[in-house]
Amino acid sequence: MKIDEFIQKLFQAAKAAGFSVAEAYLIEDESFKAMATNQEITEYASNATRGLGLRAMLGGRMGYASTEAFDDAAINWLIGGARDSATLCEDTDEALIYDGRESVLALPLTGEDAPAEVKLAFALELERQAKAYDPRVTHVGYNIVITGRTNVRIVNTYGLDKQYGESVCGAYLMPVAHEGDSTATGFELRFARNFTDLDASALGRAAAKRAVDALHASPVTSGCYRVVILNLAMTDLLEAFSPAFSAENVQKELSLLKGKLGQTIAADCVTIVDDPLRTEGFASHPFDAEGVPCTRHTVVENGVFRTFLHNLKTARKDGVASTGNASKAGYAGSVRVSPTNFYLEPGTLGFDELLKRLGDGLVITEVDGLHAGADAVSGDFSLLSKGYTVKNGQRVRPVEQITVAGNFFELLKNIEVVGSDLRFPSGGFGSPSVDVGTLSVAGKDTDADA
Amino acid sequence: MMDSLRAALDAALDTGGDFAEIFLEDNRTHNLQMLGGRVELINSNRAHGAGVRVFNGLNAIYAYTNETDREGLLRCARQAASAVSAQKTSRACAQTFVVPVLSTPFPILEPPSQTDTHKKLDYLRMADAAARAVSPEIEQVSCTISDGEQDVTIANSEGLYVEDKRVRTRLACLAVASDGQEKQQGFEGPGAGMGYELFSSRVDPTQVGRDAAKTAHLMLHAPVCPAGVMPVVIDNAFGGVIFHEACGHGLEATSVAFGTSVFCDKLGQKIAADCVTAVDDGTMPYEWGSLRVDDEGMVTTRLVLIENGVLKNYMIDKLNARRMGMPPTGSGRRQSYQNAPTSRMRNTYIAAGTDDESEMIATMGNGLYAKKLGGGSVDTATGSFNFAVSEGYLVKDGKIVSPVRGASLIGKGAEILLKIDRVGRNMTMAQGLCGSLSGNVPVNIGQPMIRVTQMTVGGRA
Repeated sequence: MKIDEFIQKLFQAAKAAGFSVAEAYLIEDESFKAMATNQEITEYASNATRGLGLRAMLGGRMGYASTEAFDDAAINWLIGGARDSATLCEDTDEALIYDGRESVLALPLTGEDAPAEVKLAFALELERQAKAYDPRVTHVGYNIVITGRTNVRIVNTYGLDKQYGESVCGAYLMPVAHEGDSTATGFELRFARNFTDLDASALGRAAAKRAVDALHASPVTSGCYRVVILNLAMTDLLEAFSPAFSAENVQKELSLLKGKLGQTIAADCVTIVDDPLRTEGFASHPFDAEGVPCTRHTVVENGVFRTFLHNLKTARKDGVASTGNASKAGYAGSVRVSPTNFYLEPGTLGFDELLKRLGDGLVITEVDGLHAGADAVSGDFSLLSKGYTVKNGQRVRPVEQITVAGNFFELLKNIEVVGSDLRFPSGGFGSPSVDVGTLSVAGKDTDADA
Repeated sequence: MMDSLRAALDAALDTGGDFAEIFLEDNRTHNLQMLGGRVELINSNRAHGAGVRVFNGLNAIYAYTNETDREGLLRCARQAASAVSAQKTSRACAQTFVVPVLSTPFPILEPPSQTDTHKKLDYLRMADAAARAVSPEIEQVSCTISDGEQDVTIANSEGLYVEDKRVRTRLACLAVASDGQEKQQGFEGPGAGMGYELFSSRVDPTQVGRDAAKTAHLMLHAPVCPAGVMPVVIDNAFGGVIFHEACGHGLEATSVAFGTSVFCDKLGQKIAADCVTAVDDGTMPYEWGSLRVDDEGMVTTRLVLIENGVLKNYMIDKLNARRMGMPPTGSGRRQSYQNAPTSRMRNTYIAAGTDDESEMIATMGNGLYAKKLGGGSVDTATGSFNFAVSEGYLVKDGKIVSPVRGASLIGKGAEILLKIDRVGRNMTMAQGLCGSLSGNVPVNIGQPMIRVTQMTVGGRA
């Protein structure tokens, strides 16, 4: 059945089942993906899907259910699931359905896609460019082009009905370089609104350069090192520890930032911003997963912790207004709290000046295994890393098979300088390169070095 | 239904593809979460859709849809076909379906859909109470039960038609210990390919809660692990994640077929120490990673990957079988109809050996005993891997002296496999969700206790 008819029937059924208010959260997606391997298109996918999540209040409690089927059986499934869920939940914090009806801010979140044959040619070109960069690039993994268009719509029985569309084009590749018995991988990923803003040559060559530059890397001796973390790697760290800024995690006793509002939690040079309206960001949206309009927030201002990120429920509990950070992992998820475009504000020093200032030390270009080696609750991290050594402000040799360990909350306080090279590598999170002072590095034994 | 599927397969081959497949799925999942002793969320989700795949030689086209009636399937099939640009005069057509009789080796006793939600919540309460009883320093406990009943129909143009139901149930418990200054967590997440008989036959929720809380509490009071290169003993169950990451991913056709694995062209060669035999087995009754048929409709297999250190087999899906010129191994898996299947692990483990567990530690000198590992990841091109140690102990002169926290293990798969010098006798498995090209799929990982002569341990110097 047609979506509007389905929603209407669903709301009628919810009312008949005794629900006081109901919300339908609908996501419609179109996506395209192509992969090239050895100058052939080896994967090609093109899809359209939709899903609907129901939230509905029964006796003051929220019930949840979702479906990808849109028939009468699906209505029964949703109502039955939501009833079960609302009846048995014991959460006394009040979940809310938004009753505001502001008009939607027009954010330019869509761009021009390209015809399929152009995208296929682009995937092939990525591989060619990476291989052309250097003969030591022997394989190129992925060579993937993705494009997608999403429409998000929220309708509820208070009369709210708003939606926005978003489109994104992206490409990524993983070149592998060989020389002697050394193997190294590189990676690059770019997103753009307009397909024509993606540059296969720049992307392919940058990825290949990272692989070639990492050839013949080896560990450094275990010990404490002065460290600059490159923007890409610092972004990964910021993302891994961003859950600590969520009021939901504070209320669940899962954040060490509890009770720290107004306190200094970072060095003076650290300002962290959450800006959903930054149109070049890829986590931008005019309203959040509850329909609340989004606004820019300074989370940390010159080291001082200014605000947690909230949805309606966490805000009600803390007696503040929602920051518009309600989120859902797809249409089926429950309402959580997530950052949008969340980034460390850039300083004034360029990357080369950061190295000059560092003198002797390490640059960390890549951290791996964040889902396991970074603990957002304790702040502890111990991460497999790659990078290079620096002597007198100059790059010396590539480094791999080391771990860099520390605690994120201590690291924030120890930041000496924030660079000017802000980058958003893969979506909403961004950071410039940062001089983080001293970190503990595990590599090879001292004696093995002799 | 069979008639619609045949029509759709024919439509998918209309532009010259040489093979077509339809994967039809209806998946009902139920998630129940308890936080701080209260039921916080109950969510029922129904995923429903179909994916159509067409091969044209080594090219694969995939399209999926939520509309699974005859018209929807035909539309999806035509969309897939439209992307095929085969220069062929003759055209393949779908063969008459032959429906195989599948054995039903493991009947489900308490299907999730027929289990009362109150009963499910009782198991959560047991885990929660047990965790909080461990210590007043257990500040937060989050327990989750997830269950799913996935009905799939897989049909292809070679005449395959198979229906299957996959039932899975899992309990997870995360406990956080805090002394007011610091926080540490502990996690347990056992599950199986069964319904709620899980809790009468295999898993005691009380034990799950208690174990998670004990780890959190122990780590809260543990000093930070020192960094360096040292011998490491890795315990059984989730310790098997080391093989999964360091070697398993590199034996999947997704990397082997493209020449991007360090284990390419190594069949029949020695890649591990003699004491290492490793298996990927999709047939183990009721296990979390088991399947009667894989997501390409092939009956699953037990595959010896490494036998006494020698590489015997890769894990191969249907498309990569063409690339590699080798038969598929029943290893084609996908998260849902939204993913084209590819080669994935099922229940992967290092087989039991003959070494004595206490001797392993007693003769290791100074090093690390990693009792529980967290997750990890690998770059299959270089074999470079990393794992977090979620419960570790420092060993001095062969004696366990202190728990340590914040450790990670790094290395290269090809090197580590050759440095295993002890394999214990008691192989056990643990459950995980493995993420790769075709999405997240449930897998078992396992091993007996093993010893690695030298590994880089990340910690604080």
